[in-house]
Amino acid sequence: MSSFFRKLNWLLQCGRKEAELREELEFHLDAEAEEGKEAGLAQEQAKWAAHRDLGNTTLLQENVRAVWIWTFWEHLVQDVRYAVRMMAGNKTFSTLAVLSLALGIGANTAIYSFMDSILLRSLPVSDPASLVVLKWHSRAPDPNEGTEGKPAHVMHSMNGSADADPKLGLVAPIFPFPAFEVLQKNDSVLSSVFAYRPARDLNVMVKGQADITQGEYVSGDYFRGLQIAPAAGRLIILDDDRVESPAVAVVSMKFSQKRFGSAANAAGQTILINNVPLTVVGVTPPEFFGIDPAAAPDLYLPLHSNVLLEAANPFGTRANTYLAQNEYWIEMMARLRPGVSITQAQAALAPQFHQWVDSTASNDIERANLPTLLVQQGGGGLESLRRQYSKPLYFLMTLVGLILAIACANIANLLLARATARRGEMALRLSLGAGRLRLVRQLLTESVMLASFGGLLGILFAVWGIRLLTLLLANGQTDFTLHANLNWHVLGVAAALSISTGVLFGLAPALQSTRVDVVPALKKLRASESRSRVRLSLSRVLVVLQIALSLLMLVAAGLFGRTLSNLQSVETGFNRENVLLFHLNARQAGHRETEIISFYKDLQERFRTVPGVRNVSLANYPLIGWGHWGTNISVSDKPVPRTVFLTVGPEFFTTMQIPIVLGRGIGERDQPGSPAVVVVSELFAKTSFGNENPVGHHLTFGGGGSSIPARDMEIVGVTRNARYGDLKHDTPPVVYVAYNQNPMPVDEMTYTLRTAGDPLAYVNTVREIVHRADARVPVDQVRTQAAEIDQTINQEIIFARLCTAFAVLALMIAAVGLYGTMSYNVARRTGEIGIRMALGAQRGTVIWMVLREVLILAAVGLAISVPAAFLTSKLVESFLFGMKPNDPLAMTLAVATLLSAALLAGYLPARKASRIDPMIALRHE
Amino acid sequence: MSRKSPPRVELLQGTLDVLILRTLLTGPTHGHAIAKHIQRTSEDLLQVETGSLYPALHRLEAKGWIAASWELSDKGKRAKYYHLTPQGRKHLASEHSKWDAFARAMGLILNPGDQEA
Repeated sequence: MSSFFRKLNWLLQCGRKEAELREELEFHLDAEAEEGKEAGLAQEQAKWAAHRDLGNTTLLQENVRAVWIWTFWEHLVQDVRYAVRMMAGNKTFSTLAVLSLALGIGANTAIYSFMDSILLRSLPVSDPASLVVLKWHSRAPDPNEGTEGKPAHVMHSMNGSADADPKLGLVAPIFPFPAFEVLQKNDSVLSSVFAYRPARDLNVMVKGQADITQGEYVSGDYFRGLQIAPAAGRLIILDDDRVESPAVAVVSMKFSQKRFGSAANAAGQTILINNVPLTVVGVTPPEFFGIDPAAAPDLYLPLHSNVLLEAANPFGTRANTYLAQNEYWIEMMARLRPGVSITQAQAALAPQFHQWVDSTASNDIERANLPTLLVQQGGGGLESLRRQYSKPLYFLMTLVGLILAIACANIANLLLARATARRGEMALRLSLGAGRLRLVRQLLTESVMLASFGGLLGILFAVWGIRLLTLLLANGQTDFTLHANLNWHVLGVAAALSISTGVLFGLAPALQSTRVDVVPALKKLRASESRSRVRLSLSRVLVVLQIALSLLMLVAAGLFGRTLSNLQSVETGFNRENVLLFHLNARQAGHRETEIISFYKDLQERFRTVPGVRNVSLANYPLIGWGHWGTNISVSDKPVPRTVFLTVGPEFFTTMQIPIVLGRGIGERDQPGSPAVVVVSELFAKTSFGNENPVGHHLTFGGGGSSIPARDMEIVGVTRNARYGDLKHDTPPVVYVAYNQNPMPVDEMTYTLRTAGDPLAYVNTVREIVHRADARVPVDQVRTQAAEIDQTINQEIIFARLCTAFAVLALMIAAVGLYGTMSYNVARRTGEIGIRMALGAQRGTVIWMVLREVLILAAVGLAISVPAAFLTSKLVESFLFGMKPNDPLAMTLAVATLLSAALLAGYLPARKASRIDPMIALRHE
Repeated sequence: MSRKSPPRVELLQGTLDVLILRTLLTGPTHGHAIAKHIQRTSEDLLQVETGSLYPALHRLEAKGWIAASWELSDKGKRAKYYHLTPQGRKHLASEHSKWDAFARAMGLILNPGDQEA
């Protein structure tokens, strides 16, 4: 039995051993006493003498026990010290192995922790499994099916999100209010049904300070349905959610602490929301963030207060749309009765919904396209966050998984090479009488230690990685709600993987090298050919694997790097540098026609007087990042399809530096009372007028069934095409309307300031000016135009950076793996190379001999990974911009980078081989 | 005690292990017998301290140089009998030659005259 297992056995059988030791010592005493009696002592005396001779029995037992424990630890300490010495003696390899493992473990843990918090976690409410989300799906309505002016489906107006699903058609979670009432009546499968709707960008005034806050309109049984208890005061109840009820609000714990000092202070306070006074009745518990992990609203308002609060909003809910059967705008969740499955609920609710929705159809086409109710799991909350991040996260997860694979392969290779190099040492030690298992145990200690160092460092990297990812994903958003905690399960799995790699690849060669046939191994310290070939080829397989995986990473880095540079070089048509943007909504704060126009105009004047501000203008939306608005626009009664519009203030084109090609821009002379004018883009001019000069012609803005009343406008200028909407899609024809001549009421505005120097230096001045003009109007969404554009390509920026970093890492690990294998190879063939050189081989020939092997390994790696890259790059097609997934440039670049790295890694050992002195090499043999 | 005993020699550090291994070369025996054997064979010059004998036995066992089994003693009592393992034999051999060399070296230095004799 080996000493290791014997010791283990000892530790396990402590009790029995104690008894044995006592018996052994008793036997000694008896024997001693027996002897004393034979020598003529009396029985008692003999016993005493024996005891005296033995000394302190307890101390003796302690000493023996110490021996038991000590030798176990002694060997362990020996092994650990030896392992540290070996690692220190091989610094480059050890550092790289530990670092690559740590990065692999850290990156995996960080990404998986995010995955967990985004994709897998349940809502912090009781029994989340019984919550369901209600949706509907409908055959994607074909616009051609609707006859003139009549919609093709019962959803006459949809105000909320909807998605196209390849199997189900149009899928949306929005319903008319009457549908909510119908479903509420069902108490056979549902214990409660509650509705909600996001209340975005509320102007909330607390103690004289106005801020933009995100809220949620909730039905009276929202909190009862979710089973949430208040942290202070009370939550919204059924009685609050009626037309006549006094206006109340519930605030989040975070909001109450920030604005009132504490939760207890908040209850009972009066606040102004969109200039309407409401009473705060309670505070939600700190862990509650609503039902959408992406939103985390600070205010909860009764659904019925929607009409009151959005009265001023030109696109807000009105009392008549509230109860309309064909207005789809509220979202619903329900709690299943105990024991009811989702399938059962679906079976019970779908016919009920169908019956109701059928009654809302007014013609046969609508009846043919009726939506069907869908019941889906709701325990994880709404899926907006999941939809937004799941694809990128799955992709990143794959990348870091590959990193971990490369790191494990590297560790394996390192351990293999080391074991091979130490065959001689092992043989020597075996011949000197070292126990085989003792040696195996020592080798194992080394590999486990290497892996453990990697694991420990990996925890550190994971913590950093989570912080870094939060920063990257938030990208400057201060209200970023997504927070991941270090996930110990994931960390455990990653660490277990790395340690088992260490054990597996440490154990296999350890067993093999200790089974070595001592005599030949000692005679020829270099490994015997037959065995080493097997092991070497395993190490070659690992190198090929690393090369192949690295290429995949390089291709990914190339694709995303090119995507980013494509996006960054998209011609915007305006100058994005040195522009400050911020958002104001004077209407929310109580300003109305026609005073609101002079309020905005007055502000523009005041900003102009700020020293260093060159131009000031305003538009209802920023050019990039908020999408674009369309309406019916026609030239001599012919609609111009796809046309979008932006309402702008005077000096807009000067401020954004969009060149005017013909005519003039919109200026001070264009007033609400003066003839309505419009400036069009070159594309619009070309689409509607061909090569004719459009200046002086008229167009009709709005009308034709749109919500905007028709207005005749004169084209006074043509601008160079400028981006409007986003960077990725082509900009449609654009018309720029004077904001004060817009047939719709003037609402929110984004100011644009072109400044001398850093735009952010003007933020305080801007805030001060707005505060002095009207303290009820908060300055929101302050950022530079460049940052705004970067925000829209945030994901691409993250991907490009992470992929490049990962690819460099992978390449480094693979190059070092290759270098290690080749160095070992050269060392092993010293004798052979010596003979070749003695026989007249030139240095160049020797270098080529080594490099050829490198190239073969690289070629095999490429032969595997290039087709793999072609196949897998299709999976990331949706992340790319301006290129095909099998972009030849990215592929070529990746292959070239890989080959040069491989040649560099191979050249160092090759040069060493070429410097072998034949005399020394042969003598060595 | 009036028992006449010759001047005792302190055991040198590390020598007890070798003595135990050497004693066991003649065959398996128990701790008490090992102590007596060393004492007798060294003509009572070496007195084995019981307080260090048993820890040493267990240490040797842990190192795998000796192994133990429970057997009946000649007095009919259960006793722990130790025996040499092949490893222990190997170790003893190497220690033995070391001691021989050491003793010879000591002898050469302490009694230079003997060389001529």
